[in-house]
Amino acid sequence: MNATQTDIEESLTCQCGCGLTVHACNHLQCPSGIPLKEEIASQLALGKTQPEVLSYFAGKYGEKILSSPTTTGFNIVAWVTPFAVVLIAAALIVVLTRRWRRPVPTGGTPSPPIAPAWRARLDADLDDFDA
Amino acid sequence: MIELGVLALRLALAGAIYAAIAATVGARLRRSDVVGSSRAAAYVVQALVVLAAAVLLRALLQHDFSLEYVAAYSSSTLPTQYTVAALWGGQQGSLLFWVLILTSMSSLVHLQNRHRNEALMPYVTTTLMTTAVFFLGLLVFVTDPFQRLPVAAREGADLNPLLQNYWMMIHPPSLYLGYVGCSVPFAFAIAALASGRLGDVWIRTTRRWTLFAWFFLTVGNLLGARWAYEVLGWGGYWAWDPVENAAFMPWLACTAFLHSVMIQEKRDMLKMWNMVLVLLTFTLTIFGTFLTRSGVVSSVHSFTQSGLGPFFIGFLVTVITVSVTLLVVRRPLLRSDNEIDSFLSREAAFLFNNLLLVGIAFATFWGTVFPVISEAVRGIKITVGPPFFNKVNAPLGLALLFMTGVGPVIAWRRASARNLRRSFTTPLAMGFAAGVVLFALGVRHYYAIISFSLAGFVLTTISLEFYRGTRARQALMGEPPATALAHLVNKNRRRYGGYIVHVGVVMAFIGIAASSAFRIEEQRTMRSGESIEVGGYTLTYKGLRHTDTPHVASMLAEMEVARGDRVIATMFPEKRFYKRQQQPTTEVALRMTWREDLYLVLGSYDDQSGLMTLQVFINPLVVWIWLGGILMVLGTVIVVMPTAAEQRALAAALAVEERGLAAWSQ
Repeated sequence: MNATQTDIEESLTCQCGCGLTVHACNHLQCPSGIPLKEEIASQLALGKTQPEVLSYFAGKYGEKILSSPTTTGFNIVAWVTPFAVVLIAAALIVVLTRRWRRPVPTGGTPSPPIAPAWRARLDADLDDFDA
Repeated sequence: MIELGVLALRLALAGAIYAAIAATVGARLRRSDVVGSSRAAAYVVQALVVLAAAVLLRALLQHDFSLEYVAAYSSSTLPTQYTVAALWGGQQGSLLFWVLILTSMSSLVHLQNRHRNEALMPYVTTTLMTTAVFFLGLLVFVTDPFQRLPVAAREGADLNPLLQNYWMMIHPPSLYLGYVGCSVPFAFAIAALASGRLGDVWIRTTRRWTLFAWFFLTVGNLLGARWAYEVLGWGGYWAWDPVENAAFMPWLACTAFLHSVMIQEKRDMLKMWNMVLVLLTFTLTIFGTFLTRSGVVSSVHSFTQSGLGPFFIGFLVTVITVSVTLLVVRRPLLRSDNEIDSFLSREAAFLFNNLLLVGIAFATFWGTVFPVISEAVRGIKITVGPPFFNKVNAPLGLALLFMTGVGPVIAWRRASARNLRRSFTTPLAMGFAAGVVLFALGVRHYYAIISFSLAGFVLTTISLEFYRGTRARQALMGEPPATALAHLVNKNRRRYGGYIVHVGVVMAFIGIAASSAFRIEEQRTMRSGESIEVGGYTLTYKGLRHTDTPHVASMLAEMEVARGDRVIATMFPEKRFYKRQQQPTTEVALRMTWREDLYLVLGSYDDQSGLMTLQVFINPLVVWIWLGGILMVLGTVIVVMPTAAEQRALAAALAVEERGLAAWSQ
């Protein structure tokens, strides 16, 4: 089996419900995977390139058959978002830690920190006082 | 008998509602008798759930086909071990199994803390019992495991053949222990927020529970991969299926938490972020159950589909709302007085480790739900399959592998040039050398080269740590090398156990990289007596064999395996036909060595002519993934073993809080 055939099989999803790619599906006499493999071979036999074959399949069976989103239109969002989120979060970490590092201007002597438990007790008592 | 189960579930629901309310009300009113009654109620709830599960198990073992559940998920010919597994093989049973684990853990937590954490425990009770109320409510009102059939079935429909497998016996319980284990740290986090006691106590109290949950999530994921590898028969172990992702995402969040919590313990920083991670982990476990149970995203693993989706969404919204509200209210208490001194520091390295782990979790989440988003935005269904996840997660995963080498050895606060040189010169050189050697050997798969280089880098950093530590002990204590090494690990189990876990992770990375990059695949139709050569093996087809039992019929192909002139094995790839479900399944024939797996799948066959189609996969280094898993398990066990130092730290943290309160009341 040549590389292009395998690549295309990996780029298409088997429609038998297995959720795997056409290449990975090994159902006995799979009603979807086996005809699709043959159809890929016959399309390649027409001398088509990989993108041409894939757009043929997307046109015939709908975009759902492609095993990953295309890189056009709204689908770009699928590809870009994970990296964008990681990069933005990384930038955020850098900015926030920079801000922490800047000394906070304080007037007079700073009050000593209060233990969380004390603060909780204070909150609780103030709540009680209000009520 | 069945009525007893029904009654037990209803009483358990009532008891859980009481416990959830009484605990918090008692705490607010400072009525220790009311709080005590909530604790008692929580124990009773567990007893009732155990009873209900026992009734269902008994019905399964007695083949009581008047019960819808028993008739749907078992049969009279199903082997006993799978009849037991049918308890969690179907929807109602798996939800009951979930509550069984949850309430058992709740009892354990109450027992452990009967004289401790008096301020936190009422809220822990409320949180755990509220979760139990949700699941018990589903079992009582929506999806009753004790539903009777109008007319008793004469025979059961049998358990899904794909689940009739050894790995499936232990994979779901393990994953459930992991999932449900995450609710204990969650409950303590909520309790810390609700009570305002946001010191170190809740973190130190739940450390072992978090490790416990992480341990079982890790094992559960690996067993699931192993199951897929041996049962689905497509030559791989991970297909980024929504349900696999559902188990992977909480693992990532939990891993991030296990790391960032160290920053809080050592530097009193990231309190807010740690809270977010605990809440996120729990939310993801519920989201995972929702994905598995709702059928909202199509999946091979959706063995049951139902209308439970809206209930889970409701529960998720509640969890998120409560969590976010508490976080916002308590924000002032979560501030830290310390700060990051430099980006070349362990604190910063851990932050980026967290970023990558959560980033991978997000990418996985995004890919899993994108089909739903696409349909909502464009009205067009699309598929987000394995190629997407591999492309997006591979770079993030490799960056994470790099951080595995950096995080544990870079200095706290600010790494000096000397620290960097000492820690990283040799590892970087080794990693680089590994890459060069592979390139010289003719490897041109760049992802594989990068993976192996990074693996070399990380393994060298870890080896150096062990080497230097052992040498230091030898010099100081005059111990022989083996004793020095043993003492080194024993004196600091958390650190060196962690390194062992990291070695396991690196081995899994190596196995994944090698088996994805260098897999050999061949498919051939053969007649009896014919041989093929694949990857250095000569496979000779000796003919078909047939076996038959009342439960299952099998067709096996006898394959003689030779290397050169020497016969090394006889293997039997098999097709099984389960009679009740009328479904063929694949039984892979597998020969594992540390170098590669020979993986044979019987495709189609013709009994008359003896012709058969064989799929051959040669998967390099797959065994490294499982060995890596074993090391991760071993390392975690070492980490979990209690040390005197840790007990002292917890006692000290408790004392600080008590002193604070005592000083206030004077």
